Amino acid sequence: MEAIAFTDVSKSYGDVLAVDGLDLTVRAGTTVALLGPNGAGKSTSVDMLLGLLRPTRGRVEVLGRPPDEAVARGEVGAMLQSGELIPELTVRETVDFVRRLYPDPLDPDEILTMADLTGLVKRRAGKLSGGQAQRVRFAMAVAGAPRLLLLDEPTAAMDVESRLRFWACMRDYAAGGRTVLFTTHHLEEAEENSDRVVVIARGRVVADGTAAEIKAGTGGHAVHFTLGGQPAAGLDALPGVTAVEIRSGAATLRTTDADATVAALYRGTSLEVRDLRIAGADLEEAFLALTRES
Amino acid sequence: MPFGYLRIELLRMLRNKRYIIFVVAFPVIFYMINANLWGAQTTEGGVRAGVFLMVSMGAYGALAASMMSTAVPWAQERQSGWLRQLRVTPLPNTTIILTKLAAALLLVLPSLLLVVLAAVVTQGVSLTAGQWAALIPAMWLGTIPFAALGLVIGSLLPVDTAQPVAMLSMFALALLGGLWFPPEAMPATMKDIADVLPSFSYADIGWHLVSGEAVPLSDAVTVVIWAAVLGVLAVLGCRRAVTRA
Ligand SMILES: Nc1ncnc2c1ncn2[C@@H]1O[C@H](COP(=O)(O)OP(=O)(O)O)[C@@H](O)[C@H]1O
Ligand SMILES: [Mg+2]
Repeated sequence: MEAIAFTDVSKSYGDVLAVDGLDLTVRAGTTVALLGPNGAGKSTSVDMLLGLLRPTRGRVEVLGRPPDEAVARGEVGAMLQSGELIPELTVRETVDFVRRLYPDPLDPDEILTMADLTGLVKRRAGKLSGGQAQRVRFAMAVAGAPRLLLLDEPTAAMDVESRLRFWACMRDYAAGGRTVLFTTHHLEEAEENSDRVVVIARGRVVADGTAAEIKAGTGGHAVHFTLGGQPAAGLDALPGVTAVEIRSGAATLRTTDADATVAALYRGTSLEVRDLRIAGADLEEAFLALTRES
Repeated sequence: MPFGYLRIELLRMLRNKRYIIFVVAFPVIFYMINANLWGAQTTEGGVRAGVFLMVSMGAYGALAASMMSTAVPWAQERQSGWLRQLRVTPLPNTTIILTKLAAALLLVLPSLLLVVLAAVVTQGVSLTAGQWAALIPAMWLGTIPFAALGLVIGSLLPVDTAQPVAMLSMFALALLGGLWFPPEAMPATMKDIADVLPSFSYADIGWHLVSGEAVPLSDAVTVVIWAAVLGVLAVLGCRRAVTRA
């Protein structure tokens, strides 16, 4: 079962194309890092998964449903990139309130332990440090025991030690067989805490694979060929393919295993493939942008 | 659990210093000072000032409460991202909006009841059971237009504009509604403005009730029309606020 499915999704804000033909599926039970520089379209993608934004084009599904429905059923928990707490409420009151909105939540003590908040339960939110407030927001995200957890730059306001503790909390939660997608612009964070890293830049997937593959720069190739008027159905099911783009008759398959993809393209389909070309994905540029950021 | 949301909305306002000082404490203190000074005098209508002032200060507290618990907090929650965080939980949008209205109405009660209590205890105000039974609900539900106005302001304006606009609206409504100075003391043009404002009609209903007179139909109609118009605008504004947050 796919926990997340973007099918040819684009989102523009006026003239700005924030997400550009995104095709991405995430199998239930995996932890995925969405890695990309500022402005890559990470938050826009997460917000579409939550029904906070509607795609301009294409379809987004969460656990096999439209995002609004999955959220209404309490199947999704999220920590948005920004958001303040109500200063007059204590940590316990805030977490307990959110927890009770879900049909089948975690135990209150379990939530507080998982988010490393046991010493702060009576503290009012207005008196928390930035990192502590982030942990409360993490607690709010996991409180309902959601099957899919979305974390948008969860460690942005944290110092090094808080980060380490935070990722330990996240891995605890993911260990229960749940699906987690988090965004970051730190390569190491993505590497240490995920099963799969999807690199996006300018609203497109530029690399997709395990952290080791990405790091070695081998984790993404693009197979280009001329499709002409032939049907594109089934291309996304070829081995290794992570994304398919069709642009005025030219097809681009993003793949983690170019050899397998090309072999299957010739043997497993009846397409007439012309002008085939294999290129390294545009990792270099994405990483250059990344290093400029930090 | 929609009542969980109502509960935290009430809790956080009751812990808010500005709410406690300006909305709960201020009207009752103002009542006691004024009632001490002229509580025993009789107004033109033949009612003791201690009784008349109970309505004026009760109305002021209720007006302040309904606007202070709505405009600025709502604008803040929209801007700070708290509302977005609520939107990614299973809490339905309609529950968010209805809870906001309900909380605003409930938060009127502390200051209203405190002024009434002070009137009874310190001024020996006594009304018939029928008068109380009409006065308290009228002064309570009559705040719907103000709570709705606060939500409209909070839905449309950013925090730093919502704050002064809500304050100015509140003072204008209180002053022109005759809550601080008796309407008889107003110049004619001000009186004409007061006549169409919900705050004057709202307090006027109370003044008639404590005098044992029939409530003028025009007062009731004015309050109901303002409640309907502002109520619709509030629901539309809140819906826009929630879906865009
Ligand atoms: N509300 C908005 N209005 C206009 N442009 C926006 C808006 N939100 C985001 N953008 C633009 O869309 C692009 C993607 O933004 P975003 O999804 O926030 O990226 P990321 O989260 O990866 O930093 C950026 O160019 C950003 O400036
Ligand atoms: Mg972002």
